[in-house]
Amino acid sequence: MPKLKSAAALAARRREIQERYKKLTTVAVTDGSDGRTRGSRGVAQAFRDEITKQGLGDKVIVRQTGCQGFCEQEPTVLIMPGETCYVGVAEADVSEIVTQTLGRGEIVTRLLYTDPATGQAVAKESDIPFYKTQSRLVLGANRWLDMLSIDDYLALGGYAALAKALEMGPEAVLDEVKKSGLRGRGGGGFPTGIKWETTRNAPEATKYVIVNADEGDPGAYMDRSLLEGNPHSVIEGLIIGAYAIGARQGFVYVRQEYPLAVANLEVALEQAREYGLLGPNILGSGFDFDVAIHRGAGAFVSGESSALMTAIEGRVGEPRPKYIRTAFSGIGGKPSNLNNVETWANVPLIINRGAAWYAETGTKNSKGTKIFSLVGKVNNTGLVEVPMGTTLRQIIYDIGGGIPGGKKFKAVQTGGPSGGVIPESKLDTPIDFDELNKIGSMMGSGGMIVMDEDNCMVDVARYFLDFLAGESCGQCVPCREGIHQMLKILNRICASEGKPGDIELLGEIAEVVQKASLCALGATAPNPVLSTLKYFGDEYRAHIKDKRCPAGVCQDLIAYYIDPAKCQGCLICLRNCPAGAISGDKNLIHIIDQARCTKCNTCFEVCPPRFNAVRKISGEPLPEAVAPGTAVKRKRGEQDE
Amino acid sequence: MSEVSLTINGKEVRAKTEATILEAARSAGIDIPTLCYHEQLRPRGACRLCLVEITQGKRTRLVTSCVYNVAEGLKVETETDEVIKIRRMLLELMLATAPGVKKLQDYATRYGITRSRFAVEPDFCILCGLCVRYCTEVKGKNAIGFIGRGTRRQITFFPDIATVECPQCGECFSLCPTGVLPSNYALAKLPHFSYGAIRL
Amino acid sequence: MAKQKNKSAFVGLKVTSEQAETLARLQRTLKPGTKTEVLLKGLELLAARTADASPPQPREILSPAPELAASDELERLESQALRYLSDLQETRNRSEEVMRRMVKNIAQTDKIITHYGSDRNYLIQILLDIQRDNRWLPRDALMWVSEKLDIPLSRIYHIATFYKAFSLVPQGRHQVSVCLGTACHVRGAPRLLEKVADSLQIRPGETSRDLKFSLNTVNCLGCCALGPVMVVDEAYHSNPTTAEMADIFAACD
Repeated sequence: MPKLKSAAALAARRREIQERYKKLTTVAVTDGSDGRTRGSRGVAQAFRDEITKQGLGDKVIVRQTGCQGFCEQEPTVLIMPGETCYVGVAEADVSEIVTQTLGRGEIVTRLLYTDPATGQAVAKESDIPFYKTQSRLVLGANRWLDMLSIDDYLALGGYAALAKALEMGPEAVLDEVKKSGLRGRGGGGFPTGIKWETTRNAPEATKYVIVNADEGDPGAYMDRSLLEGNPHSVIEGLIIGAYAIGARQGFVYVRQEYPLAVANLEVALEQAREYGLLGPNILGSGFDFDVAIHRGAGAFVSGESSALMTAIEGRVGEPRPKYIRTAFSGIGGKPSNLNNVETWANVPLIINRGAAWYAETGTKNSKGTKIFSLVGKVNNTGLVEVPMGTTLRQIIYDIGGGIPGGKKFKAVQTGGPSGGVIPESKLDTPIDFDELNKIGSMMGSGGMIVMDEDNCMVDVARYFLDFLAGESCGQCVPCREGIHQMLKILNRICASEGKPGDIELLGEIAEVVQKASLCALGATAPNPVLSTLKYFGDEYRAHIKDKRCPAGVCQDLIAYYIDPAKCQGCLICLRNCPAGAISGDKNLIHIIDQARCTKCNTCFEVCPPRFNAVRKISGEPLPEAVAPGTAVKRKRGEQDE
Repeated sequence: MSEVSLTINGKEVRAKTEATILEAARSAGIDIPTLCYHEQLRPRGACRLCLVEITQGKRTRLVTSCVYNVAEGLKVETETDEVIKIRRMLLELMLATAPGVKKLQDYATRYGITRSRFAVEPDFCILCGLCVRYCTEVKGKNAIGFIGRGTRRQITFFPDIATVECPQCGECFSLCPTGVLPSNYALAKLPHFSYGAIRL
Repeated sequence: MAKQKNKSAFVGLKVTSEQAETLARLQRTLKPGTKTEVLLKGLELLAARTADASPPQPREILSPAPELAASDELERLESQALRYLSDLQETRNRSEEVMRRMVKNIAQTDKIITHYGSDRNYLIQILLDIQRDNRWLPRDALMWVSEKLDIPLSRIYHIATFYKAFSLVPQGRHQVSVCLGTACHVRGAPRLLEKVADSLQIRPGETSRDLKFSLNTVNCLGCCALGPVMVVDEAYHSNPTTAEMADIFAACD
């Protein structure tokens, strides 16, 4: 790769590459971490082999791309031009696709996505309901980029923003980012331009810029997909930021649980260096800048800004009381600007197309788009990018396709362990930093976990507290001891040992933990408890007073019971019970021995839906057992089985 | 040396610019409870007992007085209802793990707590960190350190260093609010102690 | 045994010439009185002792009193002595093995430290590489890092025990992890964990006795569409049944 010594050289190189790609058909195979678990690597290789075999090598290019968002349907394959999108592709399907679609321009209908609402197959990607109302300004680039190709990124217009920024000068760049209204995408929502300005104005020569790629919120994986699929967008944003701020050294702090992201990032940085887009005298501008990677080692709290910077110094990644902003005094006491992966990825867009254009998307106080990971009890699990202002209902139903299995929506949890649950009554809330705060939750990094009637909200609160108890660094009393005591109370409640006064005590401890904790982990730890109490207080009261778990989740509060009126004596549950707790015989009513039952839920899952004979009983005494050896009751007219 | 003027509990106090609120308060005879603070050590703001309410301009918030720098015109309140509510809960929480510690019992009496509502789970250590920081900052020996995180955070002596340094020193023993530190050290000297035993 | 001044004192020990070279170089470049020098002195002494001629045969021990040769008691003493000598020989062999490992650890650790420019800011990265290469953090490696980078052992142990990625005891050859992230939790991850623990016969955080498997929980791998997820080495599995699990584990060597 030739070193690009000027903006003109970059532009010329871009034209060269675009010329090369101009007449090619591209086959983009989604090959991020989730795709790989379903065999996408094999699919990509099969394409390469088959294309060579059929002599199409000079007309078709295969790209292994990062996640496209439609994770539930992976491996997906997108063919351009034409936008033909095949879903659930297996290696065995590849030769057919190559022969028919690449060879003859015909579509393989059976591999198209079928819209469950209409029953129709959808040929073009942009017509698929999942994608239709999205606005994939940031994540959309993934489909054009082989994960390991900087040339693909250049062809797409990559690094043009950098060239433009170097032309504009640092103050103009800073101004543009301020005017755009970009706010941090990591959870804090702090105005990015102001953070940059604070760092720029700090009276120290040495400054740092940092990418927070720790993405600790469980259920959130937007940053992983950006780093795997389009690391250059983040690198370009970082270089532009460094230029505007006056930093010569950058860091990417990435969690080690993302090995593919780390690997792809390393390759991308090396490629950028080879082209002269990183290192000394970038594009002949006289600006020197380079980037080093720091891997995390498995601690959620190390994603907190002061903790992260301490870890970059090789010390234990624990937070410090932050009365002086890290933008003034961060790594080694030097001004350090920390932003989230997605925040950095938005920067090239803003520079390329201007702050005014950027500010046209979104709401008054939340500009641009946001990527969410829509997961849990939802049909179209995956990554979703929408303009700020889109409502939660639109995301869950129009894009997400609603709740599977005909179940009833119960709540959606946003903001990770620092956030809260949002009930059905609030689903028309628009996605907006301030609007979500108002209803007791927060935007967070983008995790959006959908829950249905089979999820217990007390159990959800307990889950989050358990998570935080394990992740607390333990320095300060309110977080370390307060969370521990709140968890003990919740454990008792779920174990049918709730007492009157528990809810009040939870509230008392929560208030102190919120106000007195050293860092945001502690300060926001009570949020899941407080928001579930606010919207689902009845569930807590049922657990405590009636010893009942309405959702049928908390094992100590439920008993499994086979309804004698419905049991058809088919032996399925009896054979599958791992504890041997079910007695009965063919055509005789099956009976669960409560003393042996381990509440594993297997009988509930395997009882044929047409019988639906297993019930979860909670908060009431079990009906009297039938005598062993009782014959089943058949509906009139049915034969004996 | 330049000074600033601030108000603590309605009383005007003068302090050096680089002083913390806690130092300024102490010099004015105002007692703010502390656990993890020591004059010879860099303040950590870990125990949170020294939280006070400050008002700067229109903004009021809670800060740890051991870490927060004084400023001209700063208004400080050390015993508001909210501050007391927080201290009471912190003491209740700490008394669950360290019921016999005199310093905590004295504070509990001062703030009207007779018993903790939390079940007692006694530990030998209240994780104030004074011993660890003393050995690192004052003695420079690092014979004792923190390991683990969350409720599994604990202190440990490192036998190779401790068996050599501690017999001549032992200065951290008197800093320990629980008085159990010397026993902890004795345990570390036993031959079966090994690093593999640090299992959390 | 006289030490030849120009040769490495470790030549009598069964290390490769490359290792002997490394140790000789380390000897030359170290400050006197440091912990490392003490360590190396210890290795030297051990080398000296194992370079001894092979131990005497039992007959030689008993030879001063040949008139006692025929008694039962003597035969018993003889076999006891033989057992003692074979134990001693085994200990000597094992200590060579231990020393070999220590020397190897130190050399490998040194390479990792140099790769990061001996920069203390990269301590956590250095430890991650040591963990990756050894499947745990051996004590000698940590002591070497402490010495070479002038970082107190207490800080290294705090890091080693603070982060989930590190282990102070050897981990199994195969890492089995179950994701307990929120999305996996709502899809039943706790039940999956129970099934995996039963199948492997170890609890989360434990390693099987034959050092084959280690079971751990993780807090989000970022493939929520597949939840609940179990990872074996680098392969991800979506909601495996008990039968599928058994096949996967049986396929690990």
